[in-house]
Amino acid sequence: MIQIQDVSFEYEKEQGTLSHIALNIQQGECVVLTGESGCGKTTVTKLINGLIPHFVEGGTLSGRAIVNGMEVPKTEMYRLAEQVGSVFQNPKSQFFNIDSDSEITFGLENAGVEPKKIKERYEATVSALKIQSLLGRNIFSMSGGEKQSLAFASVYAMNPSIFVLDEPTANLDADAIDTLRQQIIQIKKEGRTVVIAEHRLYFLMDLIDRAIFIQKGKIVQIFSRDEFRNLSDEQRIRMGLRSLVHPVLELPPADPPGAQKGLSVENLSCAFDKQPVFGGLGFSAKRGEVLGIVGHNGAGKTTLTRCLCGLLKEVDGTVRLDGQALKAKQRNKASFCVMQDVNHQLFSDSVWNECELAQPDCPPERIKEILRSFDLLDFKDRHPMALSGGQKQRLAVATAILSDKDVLVFDEPTSGLDYHRMLEVSSMIHKLNGENKVIIIVSHDFEFLGRTCDKIFDMEGCSKETPCGCNWRA
Amino acid sequence: MNGAGKKHTLRFDPRTELLLLVLANIVAFTQHDLWVEITWVVFLLLLIAACGCGKSAGKLAIAFGICLALQYYVFPNGSKILASSFTILVSYARKVFPCLIVGTMVLQKTPVRELMVALRKWHIPQGLIIPLSVTVRYFPALKEETGYIRDAMKLRNIHGVQKIECILVPTMISATTTAEELSAAAVTRGIENPAPKTSMIEMKFGMQDFLCLAAGAVFCVISITVG
Repeated sequence: MIQIQDVSFEYEKEQGTLSHIALNIQQGECVVLTGESGCGKTTVTKLINGLIPHFVEGGTLSGRAIVNGMEVPKTEMYRLAEQVGSVFQNPKSQFFNIDSDSEITFGLENAGVEPKKIKERYEATVSALKIQSLLGRNIFSMSGGEKQSLAFASVYAMNPSIFVLDEPTANLDADAIDTLRQQIIQIKKEGRTVVIAEHRLYFLMDLIDRAIFIQKGKIVQIFSRDEFRNLSDEQRIRMGLRSLVHPVLELPPADPPGAQKGLSVENLSCAFDKQPVFGGLGFSAKRGEVLGIVGHNGAGKTTLTRCLCGLLKEVDGTVRLDGQALKAKQRNKASFCVMQDVNHQLFSDSVWNECELAQPDCPPERIKEILRSFDLLDFKDRHPMALSGGQKQRLAVATAILSDKDVLVFDEPTSGLDYHRMLEVSSMIHKLNGENKVIIIVSHDFEFLGRTCDKIFDMEGCSKETPCGCNWRA
Repeated sequence: MNGAGKKHTLRFDPRTELLLLVLANIVAFTQHDLWVEITWVVFLLLLIAACGCGKSAGKLAIAFGICLALQYYVFPNGSKILASSFTILVSYARKVFPCLIVGTMVLQKTPVRELMVALRKWHIPQGLIIPLSVTVRYFPALKEETGYIRDAMKLRNIHGVQKIECILVPTMISATTTAEELSAAAVTRGIENPAPKTSMIEMKFGMQDFLCLAAGAVFCVISITVG
């Protein structure tokens, strides 16, 4: 089905080099490619769907890659597209249409399939993947999980014999991951071949036939399902892999509202576009403490984040810092949010200027000191966009510290990160603890939350009628 | 936008809408008779109201009314300076109304893909259709991204002129990555396939299309001959 014979590939600019990869994947097999970020697992997926060498510019390729009997480098992209379906990491940027129905039929229309057949495939797709709720919708009104589900459906509609999924869960919460899992079960049942490059492994453990561990562009080891399952925690951590079992959070609940030193959220209700999102929220986050916030898709985590940072006015309730009630404008001054896509919040042309922009009258010694503590001093003349993801994130945090923000909110700081990078973020946040700030992490990465937070607040089940943390009044 | 909702309102073939746009232009720039113009505008307004754009039709009707009132009541009776400085502006604004009305209908009621199918049927080259559809797809994406960036700027206390300078870097970055990821997704769905494209939507001219175009043609002839 898929034969990769002694393939080496080097990008012109990016990392992800492959050296002498050999891999055979049988029809109907489900294989996970795993390893640290930049190890080359995504590169292998591009070899199968033809993005290498057809789409990636430059780079040198040697060896042979054969998919369904077709030599990948010699086959046109659109021929490969009929056999290999690809789902990518970023749910936002894999749509060509604005409405969901058009998206599902897009691939078939490209291939010139006759309208009657398109209709049949469309209906088969909807019923096999149970995506009725996605039909006839504007793509910009969908959640990340729904978008990813639609991306999967539009690939499924093309009826490919091979599915290539490149870190499909990087931006998904637990529910959306479960939906994806059901979809993989469905295509497995239909005897299709599945290749997944992933960091998150727990949801795949009973689906995969083999796990391929890649390190620095080489296949280091190929595990059978049972071998992989039986890896000890110690071995797994040495390999830099994320948890193999669904992580369980065992943290004490957040303190009730009323903290004198820190943030106190009291009976907070918020709305978006006049639609109520949540009501009756209450908790405290003390200074020097790390509070994790969890909640399902649509529980309003983003809305809460925006409200705490003063980007959104509350409908009802109070937010206090050190006992003093803050209006949205004041919260905006006092707090900072490290966004999921940190590229949105770096504006300057060098690391140093970024810091000066944050606090124009700050003495250079202070900037130096902060940059040193975030391991960024050596990069002070670099363009922020030339930094690695982790460095960008640290720079964003550094600007917040420089502008004396008291409340730091992290929005999904570990999406798509491997084990070691996740640990780096965790230790950075622990270091921040000493600054006596209020630190809030909004995330669905339980493994990370468990390592990083002192307390946890679950947004589930809060409403105006039954406020959370209401017992604090008594 | 769901199937059930569509049945209750009048719907046109996207080709009719595009032709109507052309006719609206011709009528707008050939006629000089006020009554022809008013009937044409009223006809188009009723048309788009029947297609489910009632709200926009109302707004446009009010705006058109204001233009007329200005030109025929306020300007002749008001000060000379006012009249001489605004007459040209208002009379040209009035001319644009037919196009504006049809344009509103196209934008609000026609899914992009139907428009694409229509253009394909007219054998417009694929090389023109793809960039056009990407552009349409791209604007809302860009709007979403700039929303995040604006939030980020508020958190950093960036104000005034600095704002314009600061929005550029992240917007450019996100625009390039989005464009690259979009194209990767498109090629893996076979956008380069040379096979003639098909569509699930069946596109046929119905009675309403012929009637509507006939009415448009009549107006066209009248406006050319009368004007």
